[in-house]
Amino acid sequence: MPAELRQEQSPGSQASLATMPEAPEVLEETVTVEEDPGTPTSHVSIVTSEDGTTRRTETKVTKTVKTVTTRTVRQVPVGPDGLPLLDGGPPLGPFADGPLDRHFLLRGGGPAATLSRAYLSSGGSFTDGPEPRDVPSYGSLSRGLGVRPARGALCPGPVDGCFTLPGRREAFPAGPEPVPPAGRSQPERFQAEPYGLEDDTRSLAADDEGGPELEPDYGTATRRRPECGRGLRSRAYEDVADDGGELMEERPPFPAATAPLAQPERGSLGSLDRVVRRSPSVDSARKEPRWRDPELPEVLAMLRHPVDPVKANAAAYLQHLCFENEGVKRRVRQLRGLPLLVALLDHPRAEVRRRACGALRNLSYGRDTDNKAAIRDCGGVPALVRLLRAARDNEVRELVTGTLWNLSSYEPLKMVIIDHGLQTLTHEVIVPHSGWEREPNEDSKPRDAEWTTVFKNTSGCLRNVSSDGAEARRRLRECEGLVDALLHALQSAVGRKDTDNKSVENCVCIMRNLSYHVHKEVPGADRYQEAEPGPPGGAAGSQRRRRDDAGCFGGKKAKGKKDGEMDRNFDTLDLPKRTEAAKGFELLYQPEVVRLYLSLLTESRNFNTLEAAAGALQNLSAGNWMWATYIRATVRKERGLPVLVELLQSETDKVVRAVAIALRNLSLDRRNKDLIGSYAMAELVRNVRNAQAPSRPGARLEEDTVVAVLNTIHEIVSDSLDNARSLLQARGVPALVALGAASQSVREAKAASHVLQTVWSYKELRGALQKDGWTKARFQSAAATAKGPKGAPSPGGFDDSTLPLVDKSLDGEKPGSRDVIPMEALGPDGYSTVDRRERRARGSDPTGEASEKEPLKPDPGRKVPPGPSRPAVRLVDAVGDAKPQPVDSWV
Amino acid sequence: MSYIPGQPVTAVVQRVEIHKLRQGENLILGFSIGGGIDQDPSQNPFSEDKTDKGIYVTRVSEGGPAEIAGLQIGDKIMQVNGWDMTMVTHDQARKRLTKRSEEVVRLLVTRQSLQKAVQRSMLS
Repeated sequence: MPAELRQEQSPGSQASLATMPEAPEVLEETVTVEEDPGTPTSHVSIVTSEDGTTRRTETKVTKTVKTVTTRTVRQVPVGPDGLPLLDGGPPLGPFADGPLDRHFLLRGGGPAATLSRAYLSSGGSFTDGPEPRDVPSYGSLSRGLGVRPARGALCPGPVDGCFTLPGRREAFPAGPEPVPPAGRSQPERFQAEPYGLEDDTRSLAADDEGGPELEPDYGTATRRRPECGRGLRSRAYEDVADDGGELMEERPPFPAATAPLAQPERGSLGSLDRVVRRSPSVDSARKEPRWRDPELPEVLAMLRHPVDPVKANAAAYLQHLCFENEGVKRRVRQLRGLPLLVALLDHPRAEVRRRACGALRNLSYGRDTDNKAAIRDCGGVPALVRLLRAARDNEVRELVTGTLWNLSSYEPLKMVIIDHGLQTLTHEVIVPHSGWEREPNEDSKPRDAEWTTVFKNTSGCLRNVSSDGAEARRRLRECEGLVDALLHALQSAVGRKDTDNKSVENCVCIMRNLSYHVHKEVPGADRYQEAEPGPPGGAAGSQRRRRDDAGCFGGKKAKGKKDGEMDRNFDTLDLPKRTEAAKGFELLYQPEVVRLYLSLLTESRNFNTLEAAAGALQNLSAGNWMWATYIRATVRKERGLPVLVELLQSETDKVVRAVAIALRNLSLDRRNKDLIGSYAMAELVRNVRNAQAPSRPGARLEEDTVVAVLNTIHEIVSDSLDNARSLLQARGVPALVALGAASQSVREAKAASHVLQTVWSYKELRGALQKDGWTKARFQSAAATAKGPKGAPSPGGFDDSTLPLVDKSLDGEKPGSRDVIPMEALGPDGYSTVDRRERRARGSDPTGEASEKEPLKPDPGRKVPPGPSRPAVRLVDAVGDAKPQPVDSWV
Repeated sequence: MSYIPGQPVTAVVQRVEIHKLRQGENLILGFSIGGGIDQDPSQNPFSEDKTDKGIYVTRVSEGGPAEIAGLQIGDKIMQVNGWDMTMVTHDQARKRLTKRSEEVVRLLVTRQSLQKAVQRSMLS
């Protein structure tokens, strides 16, 4: 699934930032993949027979969009009653025609017409007829291989496996068609027949020699195969032109095994063919009656047709048309098709509801958000939720939740989904599928979670909405049973060692998001607050701040000491006694979750899951409250630090970043700091070295990651002589100097120089440094040049100030290059306090964000300059990357 | 205060004379600047024209020399001691303000309220 990643940009200053960088909430995640039509669409076509009579037939076309199956389907003529006339006679009247063929070929169905007839007779839907529905010829056209494994029956559900692999289309030479049999699932059906137009289709069809690519996870899997239809369309013409239909004979026999289980679509491709088929050359070549595909307005009109199967088929066909076709999706919206579909969600007939939902799913997918908005505008969200509550059929539930997942990626819809759907999704899907029991039954052992597609879709949807800001987080936290169920599901995943799947990823991301700012947002949080007063009002506060300004060191030392004292109190880690088990959101920060996250970090190989678990730990240890202190200590006691250190070796940027910031937060605990300093230093330095001189091209770490690592190093060497010594021993100084000098990014250079300054401030180490050849001047100049580029980064606000980079004691460089001059003499209200206040209010640190995909909404507490709002989060997108960060300088 | 390339810029300005304050080894003025031709003008909250790359005052510390002299937040600095500040990089601007040899800087600054006040007085 394409992930929409955007990250929040955090305020620039590093070191002086609030000591607890937090992981911003995760951003939103990908939307579901557009699903492909699997449902057979019924294709209504008008057939004009040779003798002039016109017949309307409805063809059920299975949309197997995926591939163009070139099936050389021999069309088995089907009589009006839908039963194929297996007389092997002439091609199906009108249907046997090329157009039809093509479609069928594609879909692997028999002549479209016949199919349709068959379908029609069965009430218009393939429904889960356990056996291939019609005759062998059709039968073989089972619904694509891709049919979700979950559904055993050949239900004409979304056909996943379109056999023909579009990919090969290009291979078609102009001459005799090699014709990949694509989808023909049953060889016996096909008998190459010299049907004029069949060839075309065949040629169109992509080869499916490789067998269809099954998408087992139909629900949200991306349909990788290019839309058959399109390919088909493009090809048809050329093929037709070329071949004039002679190909048939030349076609090599289809390999029987293209798709052993593939059920050929039942003729759904026929519609494609038809589309293609419009080519006059083709039509003119035949004398048989032809029909044409209904145009989009007609399809939409059919959605209002009194006959229910017509509605269902129309919806299915619509789904097929929309697959991966943004233009059609737009047109549907313009023609006001969306309200029609939403209305059908409440239709009494199950089939209609299912098809409509499938169509909505496709329509809601894609970059274009207008459709999503339109669905919201016509009340789609409540309708979907209603359908979810009412439906027992798994496929419908998958479709509904898939659609909701798609919709949830659109920011304005997130709250809407929460409002209408949170309770239902939690109670109908999450809680049942997670295995959690509200009243635990002592006798039975805890149930395992079921990793169903519905659960995956729902967890994905909740993942997206959980990134919507504080209010969303609050609602999710307070939703009864949600946190409990998610935790239970994760526990069971760890227990079964099944931690790489998408559902687990979604659940951990939700947990991470909900852990964000938990120290501020849960009710009763202030009971647990400790240490610093929140608002920087008091004299003590400002005093502390002023000391910070005085230099990098003074203030830090004061703060460090204070924290150290506090930590000592909790060395014994006596947790508050609980009279009853924690439940609901309280579970988010109980020390028990630490073990869970650490297990995930140890076992999972899914990068997103790793990042999210590290992010959750980062968030939890970033509070200024009692629970955070416990969590930090618990991580240590559960031997979590080595786990994190090992993940620093990961090759994935975002994992390294999340882990580095988690370590940084964890090092607020004194004992952790010492341990991390000893064990993690080598890895951190290695990352710095890689950043500056990547061992392999393309292995270069992203800027944000490097800055995160540097900040972590800075945090651990501050106020800890031993750690600074470890840094020297790990040969960190040359690496930092080199990075500062060579780096293109101002932020990296700045962070590096910050570390260097901190190191230099330890007088005890100067001797060692000088022995290594670092003179004060060289050190300073390294630090200075690192700051050289004056575009000191202050991401975000125009008026963010730059860090006080120069300490007076270190001042050896030319005057005038000072960035910041603390205004101590002028009182505590100097800029620094403003900054601190701002920064604290934001509570997030640029490097402290383990975010995901959506831009985090600007914190309301933050002083946001009027004018352009905060740029989107930087990690992925870096919209503003090209432009220099706004800086301001004190003069 | 919109800038038309090639045309002389006209603005109503106020003269501000700032006497730098000595703080230890440094001479400070007590305000913070933002902008410059190497900066991103769209981030400027004070400018009327978001393509204006001039130097703006983004913060003024209370009680500092700048505030005493009458500098206000949001002012655009047009000149410093005769040196132009409308087409300079951020760094150049900073340097022009922080020359150690000068204890007093005379700025020409402009702001929206000045412009409006003059217009109003002209109308009436």
